[in-house]
Amino acid sequence: MTPLAQVLLDGLFTGASFALMAAGLALILGVVKVVNLSHGAFFTLGAYVAYVLDDRGVGNPFAAVFMAAVIAFAFGVFLGRSFINPVRSHPFSVAVGSLGFAILFEQAAQMIWGPHPISIDLGDPWVALGGVTLRRWGVASFLLSLGLLGGLAFFLSSPWGLPLKLVAEDEEIAGSVGMDVEKIRYLTFGAASAIAAVAGALLAPAIAISPTMGRVPLILSLIVVIASGMEKVWNIFFLAVGLGLLSNLSAYLLAPHWSYLLLLAVICLLLVLRPTGLSATVRGRDY
Amino acid sequence: MSELLLAEKIVKSYGVNRVLRGITLALGRGEVVGLFGPNGSGKTTLANIISGLVPPDRGRVVFEGKDITRLTMDARFRAGISRTFQIPDPYPSLTVVESVRVAMLCGEAGRAARRDPHGASGQPPESTVEEEIESLLVRTGLFAQRFWPAAKLSQGCLRRLEFARAISCRPRLILFDEVFSALSARDEAEMVALMRSLHREEGISFLLISHNPLILEELCDRVVAIEDGRVFWEGKPGDLAKYVPAANHAHGHDEDPAPRGTDAGAK
Amino acid sequence: MKKPGISPYGRIPGALAAAAGVLLLLPLAGLDAYFLNVLTVGFLLAVFAGSWDIAGGLAGQISLGHALFFGTATYTCALLTSLAGLPFPLAAVAALLLSVAAGAAVGVLSAPLKGPFVALLTLALGEAAHEFFLGQTFFSPRGAYSWGGEGGIPVLLRLQPLSPWTAYYAALAFLCFATWAMLRIARSEEGLIWTAISGSELSARASGVDILRHKRRAYVVGAALAGAAGVGFAACVGRATADDFSLELSFQAATFAAVGGRGTIVGPVLAALVLHSLLQGTGIPPAGRVLTYALALLLTLRFFPGGVVGALRERARSRRMVQAKGEAL
Repeated sequence: MTPLAQVLLDGLFTGASFALMAAGLALILGVVKVVNLSHGAFFTLGAYVAYVLDDRGVGNPFAAVFMAAVIAFAFGVFLGRSFINPVRSHPFSVAVGSLGFAILFEQAAQMIWGPHPISIDLGDPWVALGGVTLRRWGVASFLLSLGLLGGLAFFLSSPWGLPLKLVAEDEEIAGSVGMDVEKIRYLTFGAASAIAAVAGALLAPAIAISPTMGRVPLILSLIVVIASGMEKVWNIFFLAVGLGLLSNLSAYLLAPHWSYLLLLAVICLLLVLRPTGLSATVRGRDY
Repeated sequence: MSELLLAEKIVKSYGVNRVLRGITLALGRGEVVGLFGPNGSGKTTLANIISGLVPPDRGRVVFEGKDITRLTMDARFRAGISRTFQIPDPYPSLTVVESVRVAMLCGEAGRAARRDPHGASGQPPESTVEEEIESLLVRTGLFAQRFWPAAKLSQGCLRRLEFARAISCRPRLILFDEVFSALSARDEAEMVALMRSLHREEGISFLLISHNPLILEELCDRVVAIEDGRVFWEGKPGDLAKYVPAANHAHGHDEDPAPRGTDAGAK
Repeated sequence: MKKPGISPYGRIPGALAAAAGVLLLLPLAGLDAYFLNVLTVGFLLAVFAGSWDIAGGLAGQISLGHALFFGTATYTCALLTSLAGLPFPLAAVAALLLSVAAGAAVGVLSAPLKGPFVALLTLALGEAAHEFFLGQTFFSPRGAYSWGGEGGIPVLLRLQPLSPWTAYYAALAFLCFATWAMLRIARSEEGLIWTAISGSELSARASGVDILRHKRRAYVVGAALAGAAGVGFAACVGRATADDFSLELSFQAATFAAVGGRGTIVGPVLAALVLHSLLQGTGIPPAGRVLTYALALLLTLRFFPGGVVGALRERARSRRMVQAKGEAL
């Protein structure tokens, strides 16, 4: 087994799920127009749902994905409706509040399942070709992520996606045409949170599950959204996969916590070096 | 009359939208110049560039012989250029006095430099900041409301607060951005009187942006009409209606304030 | 331009003096060492929360990495005393200087950014420091021990071990002094400018305020005070751990400020003291405590955005305005 090739392949598979998560974050940024720091917590939620199901003997990944999506959607709609929508014009409340929800979830997870990493059994490898192991979960998660991303892109460009785009572009017009803008917002928030949870459920078998596991994907998603904007879904895909590969590579070559540090360094650099040339919502500098 | 301000060959685009196309505008010392133009003509953008809110893509701004194109808005305030905003954005948690105090504190260096030793403004040179704030508030008719939260003022009072802020640094040039729009007749008359007395006593130059030709006629020495990012016509305010078709459709002051964001009254 | 009636600060100085009096006498009521320690840490956390309020409340910056300055101070004290063998007072001065430097750095990087992006940057910087020191081990001078990460690095004080009573009164004195200093700063000209910046950057710029410079200053002042709290913490607890950089700690600063009332100084100080003492005093484990803080935060942000003291102030202000309107008529 060539470790490097294996690492890269696994990075590709995880990257696809991260792309899914980043797409969800982009949706929230575009439609609800907030920087959502609770996105990682939903990822964690999805992973723990997968763990609980696996613990109870339900090993089917599709069941895990489905349950994760449903639970996260419910939570997301609740959070969006009761908190995010009312306070969205106050950047402080949104930022600290969404972070607060994330921390609330982290602490709850710690109280229920303990602070130490736990894991799900990966199951038998599917195929080993050319010194590289293709795991069932890897292929499944990759295909599913790709499928969902494609579905999202299709949805947005279809007539059903029009309300979302209209709310993102010009809410006054959307409102005057009779759309329930508030509802579209919290439904989008719920859907995007569900997407994050699906990513978590997909990746759960491959990574260590811990209460703070969502922080890395959050930073990664933020980097992707800030750097590539919200318009092109495939930009998001390639950047996320690239970062996933980079992250895996650095974890393999150096040590796991260096990959997190690397991501943090990337986002700091991105924010400091003027992300100009992005869409207006994301432009972060005044001067 | 030496040249106070020169905005030379200003080009500004927002994306594919070319707002200003190499426009040039000059202002002399003590002049009152009006800037007239319909929505989208670029007059607000020009004002933003002159006051330093927004940098131009090309061209330069020269003030009192110095190139200030790269200077930030707050630095220009300290240098003697101030402006008002069409929609005032008052400090939500400060009173009227405190709001003016901020401008007094930060404009201090510039004010001291431009202090008139002969006391033409009626203030003894050694007055304290508090006394200066007080006289400023009396002058702009805000003394009674001085302890009110700034956010709770009426539109007319907010405009006067803008005014107070703009004159607090003893500027040589004030840009008034649609300062008369959505004002009642009485407020408007008071504002005109205030501006007249200011001009008479201190000889400050004004650049008045307005879509109201009657106001421009009353106050300005010269009017510049802008259209499509270029100077369309320049001349005496009385001739505005003759040469600029848009001026014929405008009517007098607005009794019913238009919703925010619209260029009220014109057309 | 003197106003008649109640002092513009309301009844707050009186209430604070009363609270200080109670705290002064509390140990004499027979509290055991555990509770004294809880309160001591509470005092230091209160200063930490107040220091957040300088840049985060007065100047309106969404700072989510405040623990960076705290951890810098504790780690500097620990490393300089345990590894370099320096006396504690020297290490404390170095710790303060480094906190100030960190504040300056964060200020320079954050000042040009808009709200949510300040939140992201400060969060990332804090997390980076935490992650770095979590994995960083140091070896004791004779190589007998490896320190760092969660186990932490000891802080050596010649007066060790500090008696709970000494620590309590020293921390209380520090809290009183720091609160007084922060209130003075808040009411100063600089404080007024910060309030203007957080109220309307546009109007501030048009009033001649050099936004970048004043924001940077706010970070430096807040960092210095956080560093001071860190030095006190290092002395009282005797150990610096990677948790001193943690997101949970940064989050607590923002939470105490939000619940108490951003920009009021007194609000964050009291909220930190009361919440920490209550929750830790009743023996709730750290996870439960932070969870409760998060809940309190969400409820406050949703229903009482001004926080406790903020809401009180708003009521006092509208009462005053009604009075003033009455006088004007």
